[in-house]
Amino acid sequence: MKRYSALGTVGWQVLICAVVLSVWQWGYDLRTRLPWLVPDLLDPYFISKPSMIFDNFLIQSCLISKLGAFNGDFGKCLARNENNLWAATAITLKNTFFGFVTGVVSGFVAGLILGRSDRLSAIFQPFITAVNSIPRIALAPIIVLAFGIGDMSKIVTSWIVVVFLVFFNTFEGARSIDEGFTNAARLLGASEWQITRTVVIPSTMAWVFASLTPAISFALIGVIVGEFIGAERGIGRLIIESEARGEASGMMVAVVVLMLVGVVLSAIIWRLQAYLLRWQRQRGAE
Amino acid sequence: MSTLETSVTTSSRASAERRVEVKGLSKSFQLAKTTIEAVRDVSFDVRRGEFVALLGPSGSGKSTVLNMIASLIRSSGGEILIDGKRVVPGKATPDVGYVFQRDTLFPWRTVGDNIGYGLELSGVPASERKERIAECVAQAGLRGFENAYPSALSGGMRQRAALMRTLIVEPQILLMDEPFGALDTHTKIDMHEVLLRIWEREQQTVLFVTHDLGEALTLADRIILFSARPGRIKDMFEVDFVRPRDAVKVRETEHYAELFQHIWHSLGEEFVKGRSV
Ligand SMILES: Nc1ncnc2c1ncn2[C@@H]1O[C@H](COP(=O)(O)OP(=O)(O)OP(=O)(O)O)[C@@H](O)[C@H]1O
Ligand SMILES: [Mg+2]
Repeated sequence: MKRYSALGTVGWQVLICAVVLSVWQWGYDLRTRLPWLVPDLLDPYFISKPSMIFDNFLIQSCLISKLGAFNGDFGKCLARNENNLWAATAITLKNTFFGFVTGVVSGFVAGLILGRSDRLSAIFQPFITAVNSIPRIALAPIIVLAFGIGDMSKIVTSWIVVVFLVFFNTFEGARSIDEGFTNAARLLGASEWQITRTVVIPSTMAWVFASLTPAISFALIGVIVGEFIGAERGIGRLIIESEARGEASGMMVAVVVLMLVGVVLSAIIWRLQAYLLRWQRQRGAE
Repeated sequence: MSTLETSVTTSSRASAERRVEVKGLSKSFQLAKTTIEAVRDVSFDVRRGEFVALLGPSGSGKSTVLNMIASLIRSSGGEILIDGKRVVPGKATPDVGYVFQRDTLFPWRTVGDNIGYGLELSGVPASERKERIAECVAQAGLRGFENAYPSALSGGMRQRAALMRTLIVEPQILLMDEPFGALDTHTKIDMHEVLLRIWEREQQTVLFVTHDLGEALTLADRIILFSARPGRIKDMFEVDFVRPRDAVKVRETEHYAELFQHIWHSLGEEFVKGRSV
């Protein structure tokens, strides 16, 4: 593979960002002169503008007051709105975290147990196929109905979209373990539990990690959809409120925050994977 | 069976006690609609402390026999006794160590942790484990690679690490399936020395599969020659060089050349058949 200089790559990335942001910021202004070139979609009424989004962010986050001055009374500003940007982000993050962790743990354990037992996997197979055919997100309204508009319904929605993803990957991983490894362990005196701990789990890890990056996005989607349907707090709720006011900038601020949250969470998973699966990468320098 | 069995003075070290008994063993595999007969009516004994080489062409069922002795697969007929007790498929016999033909080092463990795996299982404290790993690493010529992952090793280095992973738990019965198949001649003879010294010290009962007649002659007390598929015992040869042996010097003796020629002829026939099957 040809290697490109890092600077060249970053240069291109900056250029692409600059072009997209410029078109977004000033593209619609060209409409008066070149109406055939500029689609309706660029109307700031729908998608706002980077500068307006930034201003809106400063206001929503209580960093500046409505008048544009630096906000001396940060605390008071926050207290005025229960679902301010910070609180909304915190609550959405918290529910995403719990949905993700419970989903990963339960999916992993179930995948291991069924993957290692021919009998159990034969018994449960039709049920799993059936439940897996339901688009899980369609259950969100029912979940909100059953668990109320509090945090629990968001966690459950998030859990239900994550658990299957992780389950299937773990299951496949546990099925495809090289028998040579389990035989070697057994002949060295490993008990069934030791085999699970020292052979099954490590060799399934690569499969599990393959599902974690999508799982974290799914967890976030689950929480947001839950908040759309019924919630008093959270970023999903912020989006709904801004939409009701016809305020594109407000929605965009929430979307950008979600994007940042997603990027940070994925990066954490990447770091964890790079560490736990370091044996897959080790190669000397050429 | 063989003319050379006239040299009755078997290896003095091997006691007459039978450690492994294989009686009328056979094995067929079902592949799609065809049945592959891999092993047919194989019987032999291995005495305590004896070093036996299984020699035969590819596909003659040598690995299959070892797998059955290690209780990894079920036989289709016959039985296997270890110390007079029947081997039950799926239930590993303690004391049996197996060096597999295929690379089964755990890729997620470093070389040192792979070698120390058996000790870890039995709860040997980390400090003692470290010492014994260092010893094994040195014996296998892997110094400096303790913290590397197997993916960074050559095929031959992996084989040596796998050998040490088995030897470190000091099994009294050793099944070895072409453990040095991937080594160059020089390293191979080095490893023969290492193995001979360990064996002289520990006096394990060894079943050693190989394609290499020179290797079998260097190491074994007895060579069992397998026929091309289906695997049967075609011949047995006593190898009565004095012990302790020097892996290099033994090859230079006249007796070695004689035995080599004698067995080579028998072996040649089977390899030709093996290829045409
Ligand atoms: N799991 C299996 N399923 C089907 N056939 C098998 C299986 N294992 C072995 N065989 C067949 O049994 C025969 C003997 O195989 P085995 O691996 O014991 O040979 P071998 O003597 O060890 O050969 P080599 O020297 O090449 O390792 C072969 O023809 C092989 O195709
Ligand atoms: Mg083999």
